Amino acid sequence: MSTYRRKESVPLPPKDAASYNTVCQYCNVGCGYKVYVWPDGAAGGAAADANAFGLDFTSPQVALNGLAYTESMHSVIRKRDGRDYHVAIVPAKDSPINLLGNHSSRGGSNATTTWSDSRSTRVRLHYPLLRVGDTFNAIPWADAVELQARVIKGVLDRYGSDQLAAKIYDHGGGGGGYENTYGTGRLLFTGLQMKYTGIHNRPGYSSETWGTRDRGMHELNYTAQDARLADTIVLWGANSYETATVFFAAHMMPNLQGATTEEKKKFYNATEPMGPARMIVIDPRITATVNAARKTGAQVMHLRPNLGTDYMLANAMARVVWEKKLYDTTFLNQHTDMKSFADYKAKSLQADRSYEDMLAEAERITGVPRADIEQAATWIAERKKGGFLQRTLILYEKGVIWNYRQYDTVAAIAQLGALTWSVGRPGTGTGRQGGHQEGYARPGYPGPKPPPDVDKYVQSGQGKLFWVIGCNPYLAAQNNQLFRKRIGERTAALGRFLSVSASQAGEPGSMAELAARILDGVEKTNGLFLTVQDIYQTETARDAHLILPAAQWGEAELCSLNCNSRLLRLYDRFMDPPGDARPDWDIHAMIGRRLEALYTADGKSDVSKRFAGMDWKSGEDVLASAEKDLYASANTRVPASEAGGLDPEGFKGVTYAFLREIGQNGIQTPVRMDPKTGELVGTERLYPTFKFATTDGKFGWYGTRPWDDHKSAAAVAKYLTPEGEQSYPFWFSMGRNQIIWQTAYHQRHLAEKAATIPLPYVEMSPEDASAMGFASGDMASINNEEGNGVFAVYVTDSVPKGMLFAIMYHWLGTANSLTSPYTDPMSTNPWYKGTRVAVHKLAGPLPSVIETTSFLPVNDFG
Amino acid sequence: MALARRFLMQSSVAAGVLADPVLALAAFTMPDGRLWPQVKVGNVKDLEQSKPVGFNYPDEKSPAWLVKLSGAAYEGAGPDSNIVAFSAICTHMGCPVEFVGDRFICPCHYSMFDPAKNGQVYQGLASDYLPQIALEIDAAGDIQAVRMSGLVWGRVSDAPVRT
Repeated sequence: MSTYRRKESVPLPPKDAASYNTVCQYCNVGCGYKVYVWPDGAAGGAAADANAFGLDFTSPQVALNGLAYTESMHSVIRKRDGRDYHVAIVPAKDSPINLLGNHSSRGGSNATTTWSDSRSTRVRLHYPLLRVGDTFNAIPWADAVELQARVIKGVLDRYGSDQLAAKIYDHGGGGGGYENTYGTGRLLFTGLQMKYTGIHNRPGYSSETWGTRDRGMHELNYTAQDARLADTIVLWGANSYETATVFFAAHMMPNLQGATTEEKKKFYNATEPMGPARMIVIDPRITATVNAARKTGAQVMHLRPNLGTDYMLANAMARVVWEKKLYDTTFLNQHTDMKSFADYKAKSLQADRSYEDMLAEAERITGVPRADIEQAATWIAERKKGGFLQRTLILYEKGVIWNYRQYDTVAAIAQLGALTWSVGRPGTGTGRQGGHQEGYARPGYPGPKPPPDVDKYVQSGQGKLFWVIGCNPYLAAQNNQLFRKRIGERTAALGRFLSVSASQAGEPGSMAELAARILDGVEKTNGLFLTVQDIYQTETARDAHLILPAAQWGEAELCSLNCNSRLLRLYDRFMDPPGDARPDWDIHAMIGRRLEALYTADGKSDVSKRFAGMDWKSGEDVLASAEKDLYASANTRVPASEAGGLDPEGFKGVTYAFLREIGQNGIQTPVRMDPKTGELVGTERLYPTFKFATTDGKFGWYGTRPWDDHKSAAAVAKYLTPEGEQSYPFWFSMGRNQIIWQTAYHQRHLAEKAATIPLPYVEMSPEDASAMGFASGDMASINNEEGNGVFAVYVTDSVPKGMLFAIMYHWLGTANSLTSPYTDPMSTNPWYKGTRVAVHKLAGPLPSVIETTSFLPVNDFG
Repeated sequence: MALARRFLMQSSVAAGVLADPVLALAAFTMPDGRLWPQVKVGNVKDLEQSKPVGFNYPDEKSPAWLVKLSGAAYEGAGPDSNIVAFSAICTHMGCPVEFVGDRFICPCHYSMFDPAKNGQVYQGLASDYLPQIALEIDAAGDIQAVRMSGLVWGRVSDAPVRT
């Protein structure tokens, strides 16, 4: 019985089990975990003194206070010594992030994602793979490196760096961290000077938050404690219960329930009112977050803007603050730039228009009733009894970042935060929730701002080599169907050319000859040489010529920080990677060293020296190299008041030994040296004295663009005509859910997770479902001019009538097949979360799915 | 149809004709090798739809719910395949789950489990499905709990600790 193989027991780690500190491989929250590894046959006992947990398991653990050690927190791996080992990965009780050993459904199954040839993770890439005709053959690293280096060099020498293109991760956690981001940066930026480099989830080398950074306010300016201290928490385009789960459950929920009063007393003024926090959720959907917040008993407001209108909503709320004089004049004058404020006042606040006029227009554009706009602004900014400033924490994420004119949307919210002084004070902050963790250490990007759109560049026939590193653009790129089609055509054109004789199939045998033939082919066919570097054979890899197997989380050390506190910790290595897989930084170093040698042999020392110094033997070597490169001249011996001027992710002085010593406590970046003692110290909030990251330390204002009814997004606006709306009657948005992380690269292989989300799905309102005859589980073919896909329908009141919401990156069909090619010209960032589609009912459900998959509403907590 | 097919497979397990002796043994024995306890937990005629009945299984330290659902369930017992039993302890952090509106919900962090789908955790913080308890119903309508599938939170073995 059971839909997957259950366990009725798990072995305890023995007292002498090897133990390690790590952090969850997945989301922005960065929960701490402990790893225990011990050889098969050496399990510990149930008595407290007989196991490594030091806990008594002769009777059950106590709810909440006990240790969670569940079925999915244990697995068996094999090391290179040929022996089986047990791995237990449990929440760290001493983490300041996942308080009490809390954990999410994703992190709770970290252990099951470890590689084993005896479990489903056997599909991890083991060896470098070379496409030979229509199959992949395993080859040694030296040959893979030789081929990649020779093709790179050939393209660079003949066409220059602009014909080299790449998509790379820029995050922390699994598949990232300082070591790996530096490895790519050193090779692609310092070495190859590639400006056609895009980021894992977007087309260019852009920040998702230039709208706030350009104001001098970094997006990660708060600390997790602020969620426990706030009077009012705003979640804007952030479904935190599902996408920052433990941050919501362990920090926001206790505050909503009034359980953080004692902590507030330490920070609040003696007579300052305090109570349970209120929450404002701004999201078109009735997300799980909305109803989870309501279930706590807290006061909750829910604003449901029309898709792609959020910056007008933020401006309208700011206008309310302005009109009702809920700002602090002293703060504005002392800490913000009142010269640029004039522009903000004119364009964003539209102070020359009547208040009535602006609010009426805002209601028309956003669909949010004027009274709600006014009430939300009041909740954010009203003085408390006694005249005390409200403590408001404003957090936004992909609903904002992947919005229409996303630069202005981020800017408008940042400016609402500055106008209401929601930054720098305990219980405040205005920034992003985060998607991934961070852990960014790269030399400067060699391209312009805003950067070129790499996806469109490559699909338009530009670029000879396309290197996809630790990401999966066949699911994640916008306008995906066209992207796949064009990349597929170009890679296939090269593949056909590689047969030396048109009438036969044989390809060159030596790597040098093959590289020469590839270079000839990309010239003659305008084909594309595609290299995919990843831990699994991704959808993108199906068109690759060369596949490079990478090590994952736990198979190499990495340093990363979370988003809610910029908390830097070491994610230790506790096992071997599969087969010949190697850490990303190591792969880049091998290719860098080979390029150095090839250019040295050519007598081109000016080029070869750009690759010098990649002779790293360990992750710690990379960290030291990055520190020297990035921070040699940085003065970090400054007080907290100067922290805003430092690299928010700066780690000068940090070593693995230091991080091992501080363990789960970690250190909040930017890491500084205490001005008196010289000891390394962390930085709680970035702007405790409101000195921002601008030349004069003042927050800089920006006047947002005038509203144009989405006309500048021509690919969406084309549907916004009476005929268009008739042919494509639904708005279409997309995003994550609780169960699967991003492309589900791991979860698709775990039976219990895959059985929960076996198919791509769209949420549909009961009204629309009834009108079209859909029941939950029925299959729908969804299309527009950009692309199409088949999705299971999920009937829920989450979405309003006339809107669909799709799981974004399902392996059986990405929502991005339908997304538009629009990007914000200010940032090159897409509006993934809004386009139009038509819906057609297919013949019903898949019976096996109906039998084993729950279609109960995920936003109904009773 | 699929339910009927599985029922036949279970019957064949019961008849001892399964080819794999290890699996056959696992179906009858706890992790420590002893037989799963067979515990009478109620009678069909006493069960009201959506009114859960508490019991303990496999020992007194492991609370569980027996409930008749409004529709057929995966591994459901009874003529309508709608009688199921699950551990009453959330697999996230061990709080007692409540049965509300045809699903189990945890009051601590709101994990939700679908009793008609093998205890699938379709929302929330729990990683593991709610452990399901296999039921057998005899001719008199007596419902027996016969075996646990999945690990009850807070324990390292479903088998009662031997003292």
